[in-house]
Amino acid sequence: MKCYAYIIILLGSLCTSYTLSAQEQGGRLSGSLETNANFFIRDSLIGAANTPQYDRQLFGSEGWLNLNYSNWGFDIGLRYDFFNNSNLLNPTGSYTDQGIGMWYVRKSIKKLGFEAGYIYDQVGSGIIFRSFEQRPLLIDNALYGLKLDYQLSDNWNIKGFTGRQKQQFDTYASVIRGLNLEGYVQGDSLGTWSIAPGFGVVARTLDDGSMNNLVATLNTYPTEDLFIPNYNSYAFTLYNTLSAGIFSWYVEGAYKTEDAMNDPFGEIQRGDNITIGDKFINEAGTVLYSSLSIAPPKWGITLEAKRTENFSFRTRPQSQLNRGLVNFLPPMARINTYRLTARYNAATQDLAELAYQVDVSYAPNRKVSFNANYSHIDDLDGVKLYREVFTEVQYKHKKLWKLTSGVQVQNYNQERYEFKPQVPIVETVIPYFDFLYKLDRNHNFRFEAQYMLTGDDEKAGAKQDYGDWAFALLEVSLGRSWTLVASDMFNIDPGKNSPVDDSGKKQSLHYPRFDVYYTTGPTRLALSYVKQVEGVVCTGGICRLEPAFSGVKFSANTSF
Amino acid sequence: MLKKYLSFTVLALFVLLSFSCDEVAPVLNPGGNGPNEDVPVEDQMRQVLIEEFTGVRCVNCPAGSEAIEVLLNTYGQQLVAVSIHAGFFAVPYPESDGELENAVGSSLLSLLGEPLGYPTAVVNRKRFDGEENRQIGQSSWPGYIAQELVGDPAVKIDIIPTYNEVTRELALDVDLYVEEDVTADDLRLTVFITESNIKDPQLTPAGTDYEYTHKHALRGAVTAFDGSTLSETFTAGAVVSRSYTTTLPSLWNANECHIVAFVHQGGSTLDVIQAHQVDVVE
Repeated sequence: MKCYAYIIILLGSLCTSYTLSAQEQGGRLSGSLETNANFFIRDSLIGAANTPQYDRQLFGSEGWLNLNYSNWGFDIGLRYDFFNNSNLLNPTGSYTDQGIGMWYVRKSIKKLGFEAGYIYDQVGSGIIFRSFEQRPLLIDNALYGLKLDYQLSDNWNIKGFTGRQKQQFDTYASVIRGLNLEGYVQGDSLGTWSIAPGFGVVARTLDDGSMNNLVATLNTYPTEDLFIPNYNSYAFTLYNTLSAGIFSWYVEGAYKTEDAMNDPFGEIQRGDNITIGDKFINEAGTVLYSSLSIAPPKWGITLEAKRTENFSFRTRPQSQLNRGLVNFLPPMARINTYRLTARYNAATQDLAELAYQVDVSYAPNRKVSFNANYSHIDDLDGVKLYREVFTEVQYKHKKLWKLTSGVQVQNYNQERYEFKPQVPIVETVIPYFDFLYKLDRNHNFRFEAQYMLTGDDEKAGAKQDYGDWAFALLEVSLGRSWTLVASDMFNIDPGKNSPVDDSGKKQSLHYPRFDVYYTTGPTRLALSYVKQVEGVVCTGGICRLEPAFSGVKFSANTSF
Repeated sequence: MLKKYLSFTVLALFVLLSFSCDEVAPVLNPGGNGPNEDVPVEDQMRQVLIEEFTGVRCVNCPAGSEAIEVLLNTYGQQLVAVSIHAGFFAVPYPESDGELENAVGSSLLSLLGEPLGYPTAVVNRKRFDGEENRQIGQSSWPGYIAQELVGDPAVKIDIIPTYNEVTRELALDVDLYVEEDVTADDLRLTVFITESNIKDPQLTPAGTDYEYTHKHALRGAVTAFDGSTLSETFTAGAVVSRSYTTTLPSLWNANECHIVAFVHQGGSTLDVIQAHQVDVVE
């Protein structure tokens, strides 16, 4: 805390003492504020119950105030975070704390640059290292330490960093260090082709506490599952982007030395008894990832492929779910935005995944455009994890109205993604449309509708998961400031997991939502009444299972 | 040109120094060494409490329960296990024993905090360095148990039960032998009744097992769920005694019931100082 107090005083002094002179010298203070408040209304029928907020706390909130100041060649900043009975960190728990969530000081001295404090950065596409923030899931993996970068030449840079990963208002004990060399080479004087190669290495040294804990766990394993863990594990990556005319080809290969990892589907055999669950394994890992983009006139084509084997890289092997992630593996499925098309998400598998994705868009003229996407994800044993075919047609009629429509077909391995045992692969077909009509420059309305047809769970004698859904949304924009939205997600043909009434009959429940948005300049306020079914929520390719929500939400966002 | 070579040399040295490969490996020592039979109270060693939070609808919890059995085999009497059915996954099936999920368990979940996921447990009610809260994942249990077993007990616990099979009345004498001064402001004694070998539904990776064997399931508390205050001064050599009487409900199988007593701090600390367990029927 002394450290934080010192930083606040330091930054405060810098900002206040030099305000006038800063303005004179061109200093700039900017920032943003984001806050959410949730009022919880218990609804045990939909599963919005049995958490501290529903049972007794009734209210939770979180907020972030970000301040950045630049002057005299320095960039400095800090962020004040607060969480009051918040369910953001743990959807079924309650988290209360507040303090300086982040600070940094950056400076460049000729070719040398440095940054101290909480560092957000990545190596390549993030496969061996990425420190980042995803507020909807309360992931904040900033590296608390020091980064140096040096410009070797006009087109070559090198950076080195070391620190410990942020853990709320503390840090994990393991030390991370890394080095990254990146360059740019123009192929010819006409600039018809170029390459942007890079090399990175990141190492993590396990702290004594985590190692002692790991050893104690290994001591309980049968002899055949024992291994000697390493304190240090190293991840290397080599990557390049080749750009030539309409082609852009990114390829990255990464290797990680033997490292203790948790396998959530590990098998431990003692006598005749086999237990499936958390088990530490010690394996070297690899990732091969490539993305090819082709952009001829009117067309946009992207091909992606990725093979992942034993590439869970965390600050300590005991960390699970979205905790302690050192790296980021790019998702290989489309990020959907409509309510029903986004209901089933393919979370990245870090131990075994073989996937490819094709995305094709075609716009013959300004009025019409087409988009099609196919995702294909298996594990390394050929077990089907996810399939998605997504199509979309968009038609714009002058500036008066726009119609977007298409169909999504999904196969989703719920057993693997959500740890739900003995359930079949969920099969869905979702037709949808979205109609936007502009009354004038500031007034418009939008209507969207989706219908999810779900396959049958023959073993259960019911529709899979929650069964069929219908969804409708009406959005009205009144001037520049006000937007009203009403929507309903209706479990029209309940499935195996739908709530039942006292007689045991499946219930067709409505999950309505009403939103009021007010926007003025950079400020946006939102007030919503929400009933939301449980589901997997993903942000930026990282997902977690969220329980149902029932209540009122308020949010405010602004920047200055 | 010289500068460029110098830069690369410095970089190469940095890489070599930062990513050297040799390290001294940790030493594994598999196998158990805890006493498997009752020891007289004077020989009692440090004994650790693990409170597992579980639920009949938690598919991964049987793996956690299995892990606890392995730990009990490893540490013997030095580990005292309580399985608490509470929270999101503990909503009973229509066929469930009506008392696996109970008010004491729910209160304990509120007291000790919600876990991020299941299986989960609280070891000696401590919040360990590097953990978000007291609830810790299965893969960390052995390490924290081993950490808590280090040292001698500050208090030794003796439990003398007298059970009347006809009236199902259970009388308890709990004696606390203070081995070294304990200076905590708010010391408490909690006494639970647990039951093993309850056949009841449980979701497992192979589907719902309607004859699953639940062990160490928390049935109820003889004291308040958060303990009875011990107002005596805990100086070395002192003996603090408490007596309790309770009647076991007919649903409980007395022959499979255990008495779990532990001394712990109250307030916001909650740390357990020593735990002990005996059977209701010896």
